Amino acid sequence: MIEYLLLAPVLTGILCFLTKSKKQVETVSLIGSIATLILGLILVKNVYQNNVVISWTNALFADAFSAFIVLIVSIVGFVASVYSIGYMGHEFKHGIMDFKKLKLYYILFHIFMFTMLLVGVTNNLGLWIAIEMTTLVSALLMILHTKKSSVEAAWKYMIICTVGITFALFGTILTYYGAVKVLGESGDALNWTSLIAVADQFDPTIMKLAFIFILIGYGTKAGLAPMHTWLPDAHSEAPTSVSALLSGVLLNCAMYGIIRFYTIATKSTGPAFTSNLLIIFGLLSIGIAVPFIILQEDYKRMLAYSSVEHMGIIALGIGFGGALGAFGAILHMFNHAMTKSLMFFGAGNVLLKHETKEIDKVSGIMKSMPTTGTLLLIGGLAITGSPPFGIFISEFTILSAGFFQGNIISSVLFLLFIIMIFAGFFYNLSKMIFGIPKSGIVPGEVSRWTLGAMVIVAVFVIVLGVYIPPFFYDMIMKVVAVIRVI
Amino acid sequence: MAEVVFGSKIMQLLIAFILVSTFMILGSTRLYSCVRAFGIQSFLLACVAGIVAYSTGKYDIYIVALLTLIIKSAVIPYIFIYIIREIKVKKEIELYVNISPSLIIGGTLVVISYYLIRSISIISELSSLALSASMSLVSIGLFIMISRKKALMQMLGILIMENGLFLGAISLTNGMPLLVELGIFFDVLIGVLIMGILIFRINKTFESIDTDLLKNLIG
Repeated sequence: MIEYLLLAPVLTGILCFLTKSKKQVETVSLIGSIATLILGLILVKNVYQNNVVISWTNALFADAFSAFIVLIVSIVGFVASVYSIGYMGHEFKHGIMDFKKLKLYYILFHIFMFTMLLVGVTNNLGLWIAIEMTTLVSALLMILHTKKSSVEAAWKYMIICTVGITFALFGTILTYYGAVKVLGESGDALNWTSLIAVADQFDPTIMKLAFIFILIGYGTKAGLAPMHTWLPDAHSEAPTSVSALLSGVLLNCAMYGIIRFYTIATKSTGPAFTSNLLIIFGLLSIGIAVPFIILQEDYKRMLAYSSVEHMGIIALGIGFGGALGAFGAILHMFNHAMTKSLMFFGAGNVLLKHETKEIDKVSGIMKSMPTTGTLLLIGGLAITGSPPFGIFISEFTILSAGFFQGNIISSVLFLLFIIMIFAGFFYNLSKMIFGIPKSGIVPGEVSRWTLGAMVIVAVFVIVLGVYIPPFFYDMIMKVVAVIRVI
Repeated sequence: MAEVVFGSKIMQLLIAFILVSTFMILGSTRLYSCVRAFGIQSFLLACVAGIVAYSTGKYDIYIVALLTLIIKSAVIPYIFIYIIREIKVKKEIELYVNISPSLIIGGTLVVISYYLIRSISIISELSSLALSASMSLVSIGLFIMISRKKALMQMLGILIMENGLFLGAISLTNGMPLLVELGIFFDVLIGVLIMGILIFRINKTFESIDTDLLKNLIG
C-alpha cells in the first residue's frame, strides 16, 4: 500500500523525463499528482480505519501522525502542481524558461514530493536520510533561475541545512546508542514501533543530549530561530510554486521529525526538560519574526518570516503540551500549510504581474486582479490569526493550552507577539492590495490555473475556520493520541 | 567488543592519525593538500571500521568499511580535484583566520571536546578517546567552514564533520544498522555532487567561488 504511494511520484518523474512537449509534461505532471493525491487519501483512510499500516517488512510504516503528514504533502503537492502549470507556463511564454528547464522543473518537483512523502512513512530514525534528501532536491529546484540571488540563497540553504542535519544525525546516533542498550544491536533498534514501546527505559542523560542535537538539527530545517537564517532567502528566491511547498509542507516534515523524537525523549527524560526547550525555541521564533515582518520591504520574505513565526507557534503548542496543546499544534500544521500556500500562490500572481518583490512597488491588486486580491485579503486575514479562519481556531487552542498549563508568561508573550505581527503584516499587505494600481499594469488575472489552485486551498482555509468535520476531528484526535506524552 | 577494540594500541594510533590529518587541513593554504589530507583521513576511518569489523566479525561493518574506502577516500577527493581543475580555481585558499591562530583554535577545540566528553557520565563504558576525537572533528569541521573563504572549503568542512560523526557512530555502537549506513552514504555522495553543481553555478554567476560575494540577501 505505502509503496504504491511512494512509487507514484517517482514514476511521474520518470514519465516527465520522457515527454516531448510542454503540453505533454504538464498533463503527465497533473495526472501524476492526482494519482499521488488519491493514493495518499486511500492511505489516510486505511490508517483511519486500522490505526497502523505497515509494509515492506516493517521498513515503511504509517500511523495516524504519518498519515496526517501524508495528507498535507499530497494535498499541497497536488495544488502546487496545478499552480505550476499556470506559473511556469507564464514564465515559459515569456521566455524565462526553456522547455529543457521546464521539464527539469517537473521532474525535480515530483522527486521532491517523493522525498517528502518518504519522511512521513519511514519507520525508522533513518528519517534523517529522507530529510537530507529533501534538502538536496529542493536546492536544485532553487537554482533553476540563474539569478545571482537564487544561487546565493541555494548555497546558504544547502550549507546551513546540511550542517544542521549533521547535528540531527549525531542526535540520531545517540538515540540509537540509548536504544541498543535496551533492545540489543539489531536492525529494529531504530524503528519507531520498537523504540516507543521501551522509550521509558532509556538513559535520561543520553536522551537529553540526543534531544538537544535533534532539536538544533531538525530545528534548523524547520526554521526555528535562531537557526532560521537560511529560510527567508530560500523561500523568497525559490520559484513561487516551490516556495509554497517549502513553507507549507517541508517545514512541517522537519517539525514531524522533532515531534517524533520529542515523544521518545520525553518518555525517558520527563516532560519538563523537552517541553521547556520547545517553548523557548518557539517563543524565540515568534519573537524574532516580529521586527522582520513589520519592517519588511519584500513581500515574499515577509511570508517567509511569517513561516518562522508559525513554526514557532507549532513548537509552542507541542511544548505547552496536554491534549489541548497537541491538538492545537497539529491543527495548526494543517491550517498553516493551507493558508501559507494560498498566500504564496497569491504572491506568485503578483510577482508575475508586477515583476518585482518590493512591497512599495505594488499597489491596487484589488483593482488590477480582483480575484487574486480578494483571495490574498482572505489569506492575509487568516494567516495573521483573525477570526473566522482556521488559524484563529488553532492559535486560540494553543493559547488556551498555555493558560491551562500555567505557562502564563509565555502565553502572554505569545499573545503580544501575534498582535504585533498582525498589525505589521496587515499594514504591509494592505499597502499592496488597496490603492490605485501602478501605471503600466494591465488589469486581468495571470492564468486560470493559478486561480484554480488558490480557490482550492482557500476552501480549506475558510471551511476549517467555521466547521471542523467530525472525521477530521477524529483524525487529529488520533494523532494527538500518538504524540501525547504528558 | 567495542571497548576492547578501542582500547587497543593500534586503534589509539589510528585515531591520533585521524586528528593529525585534520590538523593538516587546518594548517594548509593549498587546496590540493587539503583534499589529500581529507582522503588520508577517510582512509584511516576505513581502517578503523575494518578493525571493528574484524574484531566483531560482523559482515555489515566490512561493507561499511569498504564503502568508506571507495566513496570517501577515492570518489569524493576525485570529485574535488575535478572541480578544482574544471573551474581553474586559484590554488591558494584565502582565510578569515590565519594559519597559526587556526591551529591554536583547533588545538583548543580538541581539548574542549575531550573535557566535554569526559564530563558526560555515559562515558564509562565507551572509548572516550574515539568519541572525543569525533567531537573534535565535528567542531574543527565547523571552524573550517566559517574561517575559509572558498566555497569548496565549506564543502570540505561538512565532510569532515560527517567523518567525525562516522567515527562517533562506530565507536559508540559499532555503526548504525546497515540500511541506515547505506542511506547516509547515498546522501553524502549525492550531497557532494549537488554541492559540486552549486559551486559550478556560483562560479558561473559570480565568476569566483569566494563566499565573500554571497552577502546580498539580508533582512
